[in-house]
Amino acid sequence: MMDHCFVLAKDSFAEFFESLSKLGRVYAPVKVSDQSYSFRQVESHEQIAFEALRTILPPKKYFYPTQETILRYNDVQIEEHKPEIDFQILFGVHPCDLAGLGIMDTIFTAGPADSHYLNRRQSSLIVGLSCMPDKHCFCQSMGTDCPESGYDLFLTDIGDDYLLEVRTAAGVKAVDPIMPLLRAAGQDDESRYKAFWSNRAQAFTNGFKPDNLRSVMAMEWDNKIWDEMADRCLSCGNCTPVCPTCYCFDLVDIASLNGTSGERRREWDSCQFVGFAQVAADYNFRPGPVDRLKFWYRHKLHGFDDPFGFQTCVGCGRCTVSCPAGIDDIVSVVQALQATNQAKTKHDAN
Amino acid sequence: MMQISTPFMPEKGVIRSIVPMAQDNYLFEFKTDTDRLAACKPGQFVELWVPGVGECPISVCSGRVTESIQLLVRRVGRVTNALFQMSEGDWAGLRGPYGHGFPVERYKGQNLCMVAGGLGIAPIRSLWQYVLDHRQDFGKVILIYGMRHSDEMLFREELKLLLQRGDIHVFLAADDATVCELPPFAMQVGRVTDMIRQAAIDHDFQVAICGPPVMYKYVIEELKAKHVTDQNIWLSLERQMKCGIGKCGHCFIGGRFTCQAGPVFQLADLKFVPELIECDNGGAQ
Ligand SMILES: Cc1cc2nc3c(=O)[nH]c(=O)nc-3n(C[C@H](O)[C@H](O)[C@H](O)COP(=O)(O)OP(=O)(O)OC[C@H]3O[C@@H](n4cnc5c(N)ncnc54)[C@H](O)[C@@H]3O)c2cc1C
Ligand code: SF4
Ligand code: SF4
Ligand code: FES
Repeated sequence: MMDHCFVLAKDSFAEFFESLSKLGRVYAPVKVSDQSYSFRQVESHEQIAFEALRTILPPKKYFYPTQETILRYNDVQIEEHKPEIDFQILFGVHPCDLAGLGIMDTIFTAGPADSHYLNRRQSSLIVGLSCMPDKHCFCQSMGTDCPESGYDLFLTDIGDDYLLEVRTAAGVKAVDPIMPLLRAAGQDDESRYKAFWSNRAQAFTNGFKPDNLRSVMAMEWDNKIWDEMADRCLSCGNCTPVCPTCYCFDLVDIASLNGTSGERRREWDSCQFVGFAQVAADYNFRPGPVDRLKFWYRHKLHGFDDPFGFQTCVGCGRCTVSCPAGIDDIVSVVQALQATNQAKTKHDAN
Repeated sequence: MMQISTPFMPEKGVIRSIVPMAQDNYLFEFKTDTDRLAACKPGQFVELWVPGVGECPISVCSGRVTESIQLLVRRVGRVTNALFQMSEGDWAGLRGPYGHGFPVERYKGQNLCMVAGGLGIAPIRSLWQYVLDHRQDFGKVILIYGMRHSDEMLFREELKLLLQRGDIHVFLAADDATVCELPPFAMQVGRVTDMIRQAAIDHDFQVAICGPPVMYKYVIEELKAKHVTDQNIWLSLERQMKCGIGKCGHCFIGGRFTCQAGPVFQLADLKFVPELIECDNGGAQ
């Protein structure tokens, strides 16, 4: 396994960072308040918060901004808006977010491809970083706890060094200038690497088993838990922008004052907003918070298994920590549904 | 790096004619410079854009799309209001064609019944025009069109012509009717379900349906009574659609994007989808 693995001493990280910044702007988690982190542009490696777990917004914002111009028009023509795209480096992306990016890639690549997302995605380098979970992390349960794809380089913290995995051709190119700083990984490094990942695997404590999600959701679709939660839901839509796999948007026109020119823009939207599934004649397919909440849970837990064959929750815990009503606690909610479901099945069996 | 182009680029459609129809409906004919829309199949849709206002999904209404396309639009809100302010010679944007329409190839060689309720007549018209253009490829053809009131009837003149043809059986029904210049046998007081009961439909018919969400359930019940199977029932569904290309998420039902997997679905393919209020399959999950 150690073919493309090198050892980078933590003491040499500053030079590694310098070399990355020569390729383009570097974005990394920085501490923005007592408890929160955010991906921001960093000029020096000292700004990077290596301890950060979940940033407020996931890194999707660098490929899919909260709003962007799609086209411009005037009374005679329509023109695609093609912004200059600078090369960007995202440093410190954890496994859950790498998996999240992979899901966004799938959606935006499916035909017809979304140029606005993909052009930025192709013009970037992703450097992953290992992490130790806190109580809200459940990537292990969702099967997204190890870096599998979506990165060019990945750093695992093995004590005084990082084990640097080079995954793609872009990654090879990026490390080329710092080759003198690196040494090939040896057996001792390999054992330190394995020790890290096995310690980390044991650090997940919630014991969440997302078994039979599809059938549990189906059988518990009318469970009263949903109504109890919906009574508290503010329909604020906080849970969607923070989710690394929420991709929904609206397309809107911004007309200039003279009315003959303007632009078409795309803006993040949320399935938790009341008008999201409304059609003409005031007909709403998801009129109540309960309809929208169930829709969201279903979508995250197994909504994409038909077209794409994957779940869209990667277990980052962002929704749980950012829901003001405390109802986006996926782990507890699913565990409660599983428990009632099991109780019922047992009861039926007796 | 090679940049790819936006999938959201409309092409200009110049309004060639506007024909006011019953109530708040206009039939627009647009002319485009390319033949991009010529690929339109019955039941597919386009995203119609009024610059400065927005886009909305509209069904292709004509069975023959060349460089010109007909769209039947009901004035209901922002975009459609703005469109109704436009005149011949003005342009709007058109993107498409999108989605899966009625499977006309599959219908070939078989008997076909088309059921339209209200504005559902728009996509159904593209289907009957297509079928009549290729009449020899189909078996028996029935058209059932229901509306609330007889003065809401759309395509009255065209329907009169259909009534005179011997190769399509037309049933028209209104919940409420005033004196109508159509022959009394053709216009009846009642619902589409009453017409289905009267029509000579049996298990070997393919049935294409489009209408308001509440209509489907009753129509399906009636068809089941006639032993039409779930494999032969095709529903065109309406959902909010912003992008038309499986990206914006607005049209998501069950596990699929209605704009791409639909808007026309085979009933057999719609089992166990929550919030699918059009048929009883919704219920538990
Ligand atoms: C596949 C399909 C085919 C259709 N075919 C026709 C047709 O042939 N003729 C016709 O008149 N109408 C058709 N409709 C319905 C038509 O798209 C809506 O009536 C239209 O969106 C109304 O737009 P508006 O801005 O004028 O209305 P408003 O009520 O002002 O809309 C306000 C907002 O509601 C939302 N909205 C409401 N309904 C829809 C919708 N269905 N899709 C997207 N957004 C919506 C939008 O966000 C819109 O900005 C079709 C809809 C679908 C999904
Ligand atoms: S959810 Fe997993 S990958 Fe994400 S921060 Fe927590 S431990 Fe790391
Ligand atoms: S649903 Fe919540 S826990 Fe799952 S990926 Fe989205 S924000 Fe993270
Ligand atoms: S209309 Fe956007 S995903 Fe279907």
